[in-house]
Amino acid sequence: MTEATKAPRRISSGFNSRLAGYYWERLKKNRLSLVGLGFIALLALLGIFGPLFAQDPQHTDFNVKNLPPLGFSIQESIYDIKTDSFTTTTLPGRPDHPLGTDSKGRDMLAMLISGSRISLLVGLLATGIAIFLGTLIGVLAAYAGGWVDNVLMRFTDIMMTFPFFLLLVLIVFILGPSLTIIVAVIGLTGWTGAARLIRSEALSLRTRDFITASKALGASDSRVIFNHMIPNVISLVIIMATLSIPGVIMAEAALSFIGMGDPMSTSWGTILNTGQHTMDTAWWVAVEPGIMLFLTVLSFNFLGDGLRDAFDPHSII
Amino acid sequence: MRSYIIKRLIYSVIIAWGILTITFILLRIGPTSPVDRYLLNIAAKGQDIESVKQAIEARYGLDKPIAEQYLSYMGNLLQGKWGWSFSASMPVLDLIGSHWIYSFQLILLSTIFAILLGVSLGMLSAVKQNTKVDYATSIFSFIGISIPGFWLGLMLILVFGVQLGWFKTYYDTSYPIWSLQNLKQLILPVLALGIGELAAYVRYTRSAMLDNLRKEFVTTARAKGLPERTVIGKHVLRNAVLPLVTIIMFDLGSIVFGGAYLTEIVFGIPGLGQVSFNAIFADDYAVVVAVTLIGTFLVLLINLSTDLIYTYLDPRIRYD
Amino acid sequence: MTPSTRTPSSEADNDYNLNVMNDTVLEVSGLKTWFYTRRGIVKAVNGVDFALKKGECLCLVGESGCGKSVTALSILRLFDSPPGKIVEGRVLYGGVDLATCPTAYLRQVRGKDIAMVFQNAQSALNPVFTVGDQILEQINTHGGLSHSEAVSKAKSLLEEMRIPEAERALRMYPHQMSGGMKQRAMIAMSLSCDPTILIADEPTTAVDVTIRAQIISILHELKARRNMSIIFITHDLSLVSEIGDRAAVVYAGKVVEVAPVETILKKPAHPYTVGLISCLPDISTDAERLPSIPGSAPNPIDVPAGCPFHPRCPKVMDICRTVEPEFCQLSPVQATACHLYDTGVKG
Repeated sequence: MTEATKAPRRISSGFNSRLAGYYWERLKKNRLSLVGLGFIALLALLGIFGPLFAQDPQHTDFNVKNLPPLGFSIQESIYDIKTDSFTTTTLPGRPDHPLGTDSKGRDMLAMLISGSRISLLVGLLATGIAIFLGTLIGVLAAYAGGWVDNVLMRFTDIMMTFPFFLLLVLIVFILGPSLTIIVAVIGLTGWTGAARLIRSEALSLRTRDFITASKALGASDSRVIFNHMIPNVISLVIIMATLSIPGVIMAEAALSFIGMGDPMSTSWGTILNTGQHTMDTAWWVAVEPGIMLFLTVLSFNFLGDGLRDAFDPHSII
Repeated sequence: MRSYIIKRLIYSVIIAWGILTITFILLRIGPTSPVDRYLLNIAAKGQDIESVKQAIEARYGLDKPIAEQYLSYMGNLLQGKWGWSFSASMPVLDLIGSHWIYSFQLILLSTIFAILLGVSLGMLSAVKQNTKVDYATSIFSFIGISIPGFWLGLMLILVFGVQLGWFKTYYDTSYPIWSLQNLKQLILPVLALGIGELAAYVRYTRSAMLDNLRKEFVTTARAKGLPERTVIGKHVLRNAVLPLVTIIMFDLGSIVFGGAYLTEIVFGIPGLGQVSFNAIFADDYAVVVAVTLIGTFLVLLINLSTDLIYTYLDPRIRYD
Repeated sequence: MTPSTRTPSSEADNDYNLNVMNDTVLEVSGLKTWFYTRRGIVKAVNGVDFALKKGECLCLVGESGCGKSVTALSILRLFDSPPGKIVEGRVLYGGVDLATCPTAYLRQVRGKDIAMVFQNAQSALNPVFTVGDQILEQINTHGGLSHSEAVSKAKSLLEEMRIPEAERALRMYPHQMSGGMKQRAMIAMSLSCDPTILIADEPTTAVDVTIRAQIISILHELKARRNMSIIFITHDLSLVSEIGDRAAVVYAGKVVEVAPVETILKKPAHPYTVGLISCLPDISTDAERLPSIPGSAPNPIDVPAGCPFHPRCPKVMDICRTVEPEFCQLSPVQATACHLYDTGVKG
């Protein structure tokens, strides 16, 4: 009888560690996602601790220019004025520049590490801004309804019509290429997709049976919002964020590639920009940053795909 | 249905207005006004700054209040007075007129390539779900959407142009646009732009097909005694096409235009992307704005057509 | 309609002596359809035996998930083939075993000799084609008619189903029709090649009572006018008494009893059938609680050993827990699979 009079222990609800643990278990079963996550973690470590061990990426030394990566060698033909002929020497890679150097003698490994910092920073920050804005606008539109919804959605439609990259180029052209501006611009232009998705999710949640059921059980408005609606939206937000990061990283790389990146920083795109002109003499400068970009984007895509499956209650894992 | 079309047209006009207004606002928020930049260029050529400044201000009406500027800006654009490109020494519209065909050709060819291959592979992948064919296609499409398009272009040039020497590493404009030689030198650019699109279309098609393969009307079709190829090729496909059309057209506007811009730069194709790129480094803002606006209006047009096409294709919407 | 190149299997003659055999149109014996999934083998159909006679309506009755729909799909091999597979059993039609015959032959039978209608007409009809086109498609697949003949046949089918303005209806899309109209259009489509057998999978579950009555009356007419054999799948016992001549009770993928409807209602043999009948609320008696069968149906992945009903059976014996009962004749008209009635006469 004393059992019945004890206050029932609160069964926690909302998005808490138990729910997160459940999703993590499901995600773990997707091996590709884990590989992607591992690579991203590696990249983050590299970005944080790499610069401590690597050389200065901006340091130019024309004595070691155009060195191939370790294990490769390249033929160099140098015109010798004295003998009036070409002498061909074979230049092998060296262990102190394991990934080679570019045409100004800058160490490739150092530049790639510096590039990883930029890509991850831009990726995370710009995506954060975009998703935050998009969620804000989407939720606002869904809840306010009426003319607020109308105006916000027309504005979203207008912004969505601009081709993303063309708009980026235009704004960076107007405002000038600095890292802060690039992050801000990508964030302030990339929110449209998120806004649409969040708004439709919020609208549909409002009328779903489980919401009506919890209200029928007596739940208050805030309880409904926090314990029922937000957990369902959070998973969408996480998936969207993860899948937006590749696009953001590629956008920054593309901007840097066409010369509109931050001239003070070494991003992978900037390296590619210099590399495209020396593809016959120093092909690795064009190849290596691209491989890094590819692997990074691939990892986020694997992770995002796995997250999407993990969060989907209909998929059998 | 007709009222829907009219509503949609009015809506597009509103969006168009919004696009022009936003562009106007963007142009005015820069730290340096377009005039200052123009002036810097003129100063570099040694002319008298003050007189040039006054002439420009008079011409562009920059000394007038902002509302008046806005109205004359809108007026000019609508009348086709899109400004003068000082880096190319011709009206902006002429510049666009002589270069748009290259962009059009590139985008057309790569989109056709991507749709034909992408949709077929996607269908195959869906029908043979979880077999080796499906896994191979999935891997290929993951890779395809993760490779940066411009880097793929560089790699294609590196392998096929530099190392193997099969193609020239620069674009030769002397051939007529639809001639065989020109098409031949478009192979690499079309691949560079098209492979990314292709990979995306494979995924979309596969997903759209899978969604429909499990539907009940497929069982009904089989119960009627129809051969499997009719069940898949007619019943499933006709339903899968609906979301596919929307998403392919949407991709066209948001991703392909950006991709084409970069591909033109990598391969030296003198399309609008290249034109805009050159203008950026000459600070010729009128051209940059013009190319952006053209791209945006094209997207608007594409969105409008997609809506109309979709309404036509889906009887549930056509007959309401 | 029936192929002349195949001779009836003599084994089938011996196994099944339920009734006069020469008017049996379909014979299902020992059918097992299993689905091989990542979580295990789903034994959706695990021992189904029944025979369908010409002009009769046989009801497959059972609770949700007992395997009756999969049984219906198995007759024409319409289930998803990986992961599903007919692991055992025979489906004899016209002397040919449909469970193992080549697909090309099966396609000739589908829609022409044996037709099927489904529960939900909105999802069973293709939303992007007109109803008329879908009917014409079926007519043209099995050939023989010119276009105008086919169109007039489609029109008369819709009229037979009492669909008003049949000419206009042909040009309508499914979503433009009401629920009842769609259902009747689907039945019309299934009749377009004059099949011998109509399989109806819960055709009245998704419609309201008035439409239900219409459909039942249509089915009665089909039996009377076309002498059509009908397999009617339902979970509703009242429907069984309205439309059925005989009933096969399905539990956990097995047919546990087959008998005329009168017999099932008045003298059920199998304890599960007894339980089902006793669950029917009787308005004439005073009852405070509605009786129900304790426990719940087994998960098809995890079927109990022996008789699948033994955990819930009020008359369970030791043998029931380990040995699966065989399907035997109780009388010329009634057969059941239960250890209480092991007569030794194979059903």
